[in-house]
Amino acid sequence: MSALSLLLSLAFLALAFLAPGALANLFGLGALAVATFVRLSPQGRTLNLALLTLAFTLGLMRSGNTLGLIGLVGILVALTTLPRIPTWVRALLGLAILLLSVPLAGFANTFVFELGIQIGIYAAMALGLNVVVGMAGLLDLGYAAFFAVGAYTWAIFGSEQAKNFMQGNFPLPGEYMYLFMGIAIVTTALTGLLIGLPALRLRGDYLAIVTLGLGEVVRILANNLDHPVNFTNGPQGITPVQRPPIDWFRELMAAIGVRLDQTTDYQLFFYFLVLVMIGLVVLVNLNLANSRFGRAWVAIREDEIAARSMGIPLLPTKLLAFMTGAAFSGVMGVIFAAQRTFVSPESFTLLASITILGMVILGGMGSIPGAILGAAALTILNLDILKTFSEFVRTSLPQIPSQVDPAKYERLVFGLILVLMMIFRPEGLIPEKRHRAEMEEGA
Amino acid sequence: MKALEVTHATKRFGGLVAVNDVSLTVNQGEIFSVIGPNGAGKTTFFNLLTGIYAPDEGRILLFGKDITGFPPDRVAKEGVGRTFQNIRLFGAMTVLENLLVGMHIHIRVPYFHAVFRTPLARREEKRAEEEAKRLLEYVGLLHRKDELAKNLPYGEQRKLEIARALALKPRLLLLDEPAAGMNPKETEELQAFIQKLREELGVTIVLIEHDMRLVMRISHRIAVLEYGSKIAEGTPEEVRTNPRVIEAYLGKGAAGGGA
Ligand SMILES: Nc1ncnc2c1ncn2[C@@H]1O[C@H](COP(=O)(O)OP(=O)(O)OP(=O)(O)O)[C@@H](O)[C@H]1O
Ligand SMILES: [Mg+2]
Repeated sequence: MSALSLLLSLAFLALAFLAPGALANLFGLGALAVATFVRLSPQGRTLNLALLTLAFTLGLMRSGNTLGLIGLVGILVALTTLPRIPTWVRALLGLAILLLSVPLAGFANTFVFELGIQIGIYAAMALGLNVVVGMAGLLDLGYAAFFAVGAYTWAIFGSEQAKNFMQGNFPLPGEYMYLFMGIAIVTTALTGLLIGLPALRLRGDYLAIVTLGLGEVVRILANNLDHPVNFTNGPQGITPVQRPPIDWFRELMAAIGVRLDQTTDYQLFFYFLVLVMIGLVVLVNLNLANSRFGRAWVAIREDEIAARSMGIPLLPTKLLAFMTGAAFSGVMGVIFAAQRTFVSPESFTLLASITILGMVILGGMGSIPGAILGAAALTILNLDILKTFSEFVRTSLPQIPSQVDPAKYERLVFGLILVLMMIFRPEGLIPEKRHRAEMEEGA
Repeated sequence: MKALEVTHATKRFGGLVAVNDVSLTVNQGEIFSVIGPNGAGKTTFFNLLTGIYAPDEGRILLFGKDITGFPPDRVAKEGVGRTFQNIRLFGAMTVLENLLVGMHIHIRVPYFHAVFRTPLARREEKRAEEEAKRLLEYVGLLHRKDELAKNLPYGEQRKLEIARALALKPRLLLLDEPAAGMNPKETEELQAFIQKLREELGVTIVLIEHDMRLVMRISHRIAVLEYGSKIAEGTPEEVRTNPRVIEAYLGKGAAGGGA
């Protein structure tokens, strides 16, 4: 078994070198599946994963085929979830993938950066929603509203937009973005309070419907607050939004021998910024989960009456979960606005809320690696696989009418995936131990 | 000192008067039992005491403080711990975590300290965990601390629920049919355990129980409910010989036996 697995990995390494591309990467994904699911000694598994990391990186650098990114994400998941791999191996390989492989691939194909950044932003939001839905069990269908509030918080003041309703020197210089990440925590938490106060008195389905409605209210406000006073510039959106100056970053990179050009410098910067944010968000998630607040959230989810009888006040505790999740989303909104330099109501539709919820459910409610994996899977699916597939259909099968363009069926595929998940793996891809327990109980 | 003074408490569910003008007092340090046939309103009476329902009429004083209409979390903060007739543990949390939830109001970590897990948060968490472990040892469940609560056998779940209530450091402990489903030997152990709690922790205990042998042996005083009304109150001897009580029980044929 171990010989076979090793052989596959080596073969893929050779393929990635000689004939990089989609086919080689598909082969690599197969090799990864073997290395993950077959019984191997810890050393054997480590060796395989290292070889595959090398091969996927090489393939990405030589062909830019983004299937390789899925492979790297898969290795990250394997590293975080498989047992009996030494901690230093996990850390080393994980860091190598995040800090070397992805940037190297990005230089070959800048779309990899775009994907990485999107995955990161959505992963951080999924982690925030994980607090609300996964830990506290509050079904929030309007989560994108907080993302919107965060994004507009910076977009309005980081562009000329603010001139429409106040005096001052706008746009604010780009370095204010960091300050606005803090301010967005406050504005989104307050929005969370505002939405949560009426909504959180309700339960289950009612809560879901009300958050859905209030989430739409925020989007519609963004759409219509262009008159009488122009706060949001309505459906046209706001552009250009300032980005922070990154001369220091260019110098830093130059100092370690990385020469950046005009297209990759900001992408690499935002990629690293998003990585840092994910690190912070994961840390805060873990801290909260192991605090009296996290326990109170789970307790409320498990049994409200028992939780209250332990002195846990219902509404304040739920509000706190809601506001915490909102704040995560708000910070990422600021980064989103700056990275795109453009914000419009279109990014914050009900579908965005549902997609983030889908990431949490797909990965496994309450599970931190699950939320990240869910974000990676759905982002890659949306931005990459379906698009590539439609490209393929358009170019190689031109007789197929454009109505059946696969990219148009994003929601269908997304829905199918969720349905299949609910049937075959209702606890999610990487379930949290508590939720697994609950699912078993229900079965 | 009166631990509990209930005056004219009434609770109606539509046309049904589940608790009807019940007045009683429980002295500090006492073991006080509430008995009565099925559906007499005992559990509803507990739910009034703990704020799960607000009484339609009447007052509830806890150690002299009026707590009528307090929500359950505030009643808990006033020092009332309880267990439930149909065990309500946090099944998907570990045994230790269940106790830590019970200690919620005693873990003093402000939110931002928890977010960044500051030294203060670390210290408090560690202290709480040590204390929870001590409590688990006290009730004999330390070896189970990392198991999910729902995986414990029934008897240990009952014990854990009492331990969780104790984690609150209650002045008043309400136990709703703790002996339900136990065999005679387990019931005897439970009796010794409850008496130990009263002696060692000085907690006042109100007990709902159908097991008459246990009730008669353990209680200082007993109140009897029937159709929501209190029909008798007194020492075990007084209650046992009270004609109305005998009638209520023989009429229902419900004396003794499990849940
Ligand atoms: N939430 C409720 N809504 C409507 N009726 C209720 C409610 N809770 C209890 N009742 C009714 O009130 C009456 C008293 O119920 P309660 O549970 O207090 O009895 P009990 O003395 O605890 O009985 P048991 O010995 O069976 O536990 C019953 O007739 C019950 O059906
Ligand atoms: Mg009852």
